[in-house]
Amino acid sequence: MTAYDFLSDQLVEKFDVDRDKLTPESSLSDLGLDSLSIVELVFDVEDEFDIEVAEDDANFTTLGEAAVLFDKLIKAKQD
Amino acid sequence: MTRRRVFVTGLGFVSPHGDDPDAVFERICAAESVVRAHRLESLAWAEDPVPMARADFDPGDRIPKIQRIFMSRAGQMAVTAGYDALVRAGLPTDGSGVDDMGVYLGHGLGGSEILEDGYRTHFTRQRRFKPTTVPLIMTNGPTSHVSMRFRMLGPTLTYSNACASSAAAIGEAFRAIRDGYLERAVAGGTEAQLNEGAVAAWIMLGVLAKGSGEDAASACRPFDVDRRGFVLGEGAVMLILESEDAVRERGATPLGEIVGYASASDGHNLTEPHVDGQARAMRLSLADAGLDPECVGYVNAHATGTQVGDMVEVDAIRQVFGAHAGSLLVSATKGLHGHLIGAAAALEGALTLMALKQGRVPPTGNLRSPDPALDLDCVPGQAREVPDLEYALSNSFAFGGTNASLVMRRVDGRP
Repeated sequence: MTAYDFLSDQLVEKFDVDRDKLTPESSLSDLGLDSLSIVELVFDVEDEFDIEVAEDDANFTTLGEAAVLFDKLIKAKQD
Repeated sequence: MTRRRVFVTGLGFVSPHGDDPDAVFERICAAESVVRAHRLESLAWAEDPVPMARADFDPGDRIPKIQRIFMSRAGQMAVTAGYDALVRAGLPTDGSGVDDMGVYLGHGLGGSEILEDGYRTHFTRQRRFKPTTVPLIMTNGPTSHVSMRFRMLGPTLTYSNACASSAAAIGEAFRAIRDGYLERAVAGGTEAQLNEGAVAAWIMLGVLAKGSGEDAASACRPFDVDRRGFVLGEGAVMLILESEDAVRERGATPLGEIVGYASASDGHNLTEPHVDGQARAMRLSLADAGLDPECVGYVNAHATGTQVGDMVEVDAIRQVFGAHAGSLLVSATKGLHGHLIGAAAALEGALTLMALKQGRVPPTGNLRSPDPALDLDCVPGQAREVPDLEYALSNSFAFGGTNASLVMRRVDGRP
C-alpha cells in the first residue's frame, strides 16, 4: 500500500472526510484537519509503516506533499 | 447587590436509564434498577462479577466524527447531554446565538479510559503513547468541548470535587447568574470511569457493594439495615440555567428554579464523612435561599448505601431540620442508577427538579428493610405523590470532605 492510499483511507474512515474531495492538491486544513489532527495522522502513518517522521520534515500542506514525504521515508527504510 | 431569580429551562441526559429525562424519571419512580453484574477480564483476582450501571450511549449526529477522535467518553457524553439540553430549552445547537453562555462542569477522573489505554500500551507493549493523550485525559477537556462545539464563550470552569463536583458546578453557575455576572449557562457533570483499571482501584477501597446475577440490581441499598456499599454508574447530565430576564426575553417556560446553594467542608478526613460539615452545607444553603427549614418538603439524599455515610447524613438532616425532620420525605436513587461520581449531583439535582415539577417524589431504590436507627421517612417501595411540594434540597457529599447542597423550587407557568 502506498502512503497516498493509506492516508486517503485514514482520512475517510477515521476523520470522516468525503472521499470525493481527496486529490493530491487537497489541503489537509481545507479537509478539516487542525494541527492536532495532523499530529494524529502522522502518528498513524509512523505506526503503519514503522517509520519516524522528524518534526522539521513534517512541513507539508497538501495530501500529495504528505504522501511524497512518507513514500520517501518508507523507501529509505526498505533500502 | 440585587439578587436575580435563576431558572432551569432545559435538561440533557446521558444516563444508565436512558437519554429522555421524562422516561428516566418514570423508570426511577417505578424503582427500576438498571444495575447489572459485569465480569471484567483483567480482574481475575476478583472472583465475582462487579455490579455497575453502564450508559448505553451513542452521540449520533450530535458530534461530528472528526471531533470525537479528540474526546474522551466523558467528553462525548457531556457534549451529547449539552446538545439535548439546548434543544429542550429551545436554544440553537449550530454554534450561533449562545456565545454569551458559560459552561460549568463537574468531572471526577478525567479521560480515565484514555489514560488506561495509554499506560497499557506504554508499559506492556513498549509502544508509544498516542500524541493526543494529554488533551484527551485533562479533566477540563469535556468542559472545553462543550464550549467549542456550541461556541459558548463565557466562563468555562471545571469543578473536580469527587462526588460533589457537579453540585459545585451548578451552584457556582447559579451564583454567577443570580449575582449578575452572566445571563445563561449550561451546568452539570460528566463521568465515565467504568474502565477496568479504575473499577479495580474502587474495589480495593472496599466501598463497593457486591452482588452477582439477579442480586446485582439490588446490590446498593441506601438506608437499608443490610446496606453494604455503592455501585458505580456513568453518564452526563446538563442543565440550562437562565436569569429571569433571559427567560422573559425568550418567552421560555422554566422547568424549575434554583434558589439556594452552599458548599462547606469537613476539614476532617479524606474518606470519612462528618456530620458538622454536612449540616453546615444544608443550613447555609437554606440561609442562602432565605428559607426556614420547615419550608422544605423533600430532601434528595446523597446516601450512597454505605453503613457510615447514610447514618451521618441522617444525623445531619436531624440536626438541621429538628422536629421537622419527621415530616420530611428523604429519598436516595443511587441504588437504581449507580453512583455517577462527577455527574451524580447533576443527575440527582435534575431528578429533584422533576419531583417538584410533577409533585411526585422518587422512592429510595432497593429499600426492603429500613434501618430502625435511621428513623426518617425514606420513601421505601414506590414513588410518593406530593402535589403541594414547593421546595426541595439536594445533597452531595464528597471524598475529601467537600459538602454541597442545592435548594430548588417548583415553578408554575412562566415568571
